[in-house]
Amino acid sequence: MRVLLVDDEQELVATLAERLEMRGIDASWASDCSTALELVHTERFDIALLDVKLPSMNGLELKRLIEADCPWMKFIFLTGHGSEDDFHACSAESGRDYYLIKPVQIEVLMQKLNEVFAGTGGQP
Amino acid sequence: MSANRDSASELGLDFFGNMTASISHELKNALAIVNENAGLLGDLALLMEKGRPLSPERLVSLAGNIRRQVQRADDIIRRLNRFAHSAHEPAASTDLGEVLAFTVALADRLATMKGVTLTVEAGEPVTVEVRPFVLENLLWFCLQQLFTAAGSGTTVALAAEAEGATALVRIRCAAGTEVNAAATEVERAGQPLLAELQAQLGVAPAGGELLLRLPVRRVG
Repeated sequence: MRVLLVDDEQELVATLAERLEMRGIDASWASDCSTALELVHTERFDIALLDVKLPSMNGLELKRLIEADCPWMKFIFLTGHGSEDDFHACSAESGRDYYLIKPVQIEVLMQKLNEVFAGTGGQP
Repeated sequence: MSANRDSASELGLDFFGNMTASISHELKNALAIVNENAGLLGDLALLMEKGRPLSPERLVSLAGNIRRQVQRADDIIRRLNRFAHSAHEPAASTDLGEVLAFTVALADRLATMKGVTLTVEAGEPVTVEVRPFVLENLLWFCLQQLFTAAGSGTTVALAAEAEGATALVRIRCAAGTEVNAAATEVERAGQPLLAELQAQLGVAPAGGELLLRLPVRRVG
């Protein structure tokens, strides 16, 4: 499973990526949208974990750009807010279950990644 | 957005909501990083039990990461506390430069989300008699309008200076930035704040800059 993590908090995504790697996930990260877009153009990912609030564009806008080039990819949104607005926006985009609130427990994230990946037909 | 608010109190409530939502997001991020670093320490300890070596330098580095985020969270909470108290402070002699710096600290994350960098230029100390919260609110209102005008990748600089019996706040965008629409919107929707502060808003003749004039002493 190849996962792209995008959050403007660099220390957060770098640490999370390292923890996912320890659990057998092939994880890359980006702390801005342009780097994320470069990565999806040069590497193939199965899932992107996107922060909802990103500088320059929000996670939902980034999702649409990635999806246009990589229609096979699945998305999980991560947010610090947990606000009703975020919840409804993300639910409409990707389904109720693909929305996690920071701080997220690694076991919960792993379970979600495995569920989403299984939905793509892949084997974790 | 507060376009239909008709009193300084209602605008103040909007402002308070915007700022506390942003602060809570910042705090969540600091906590999330502490959570991941603590989790990584646990992961590394488990791997060490299985025979994988763990260097003391790595432990020191992770402990340092946690300490930095705790300090960051503490700074955010101090800012929140100061902001909360400013909401009920009466009008008093206030260092204008300090209000600019505090407002920039409050608005920094939201500016970053718009791709805008905020700076405060150092100048001579200028004291004004204001309710700090109302001035912070008006400055935020101006900044909010300017984010769109300034555009992503630009800097908005704030500076205070004395101008006779008035204090002048310059809110400057890049040369050539069209700020008239922002000024019009502040004068329209921010009128209760301008009135409460007895302030006047203008645009610099060369453009690209909002000029906010405040009386050094309140009248009445």
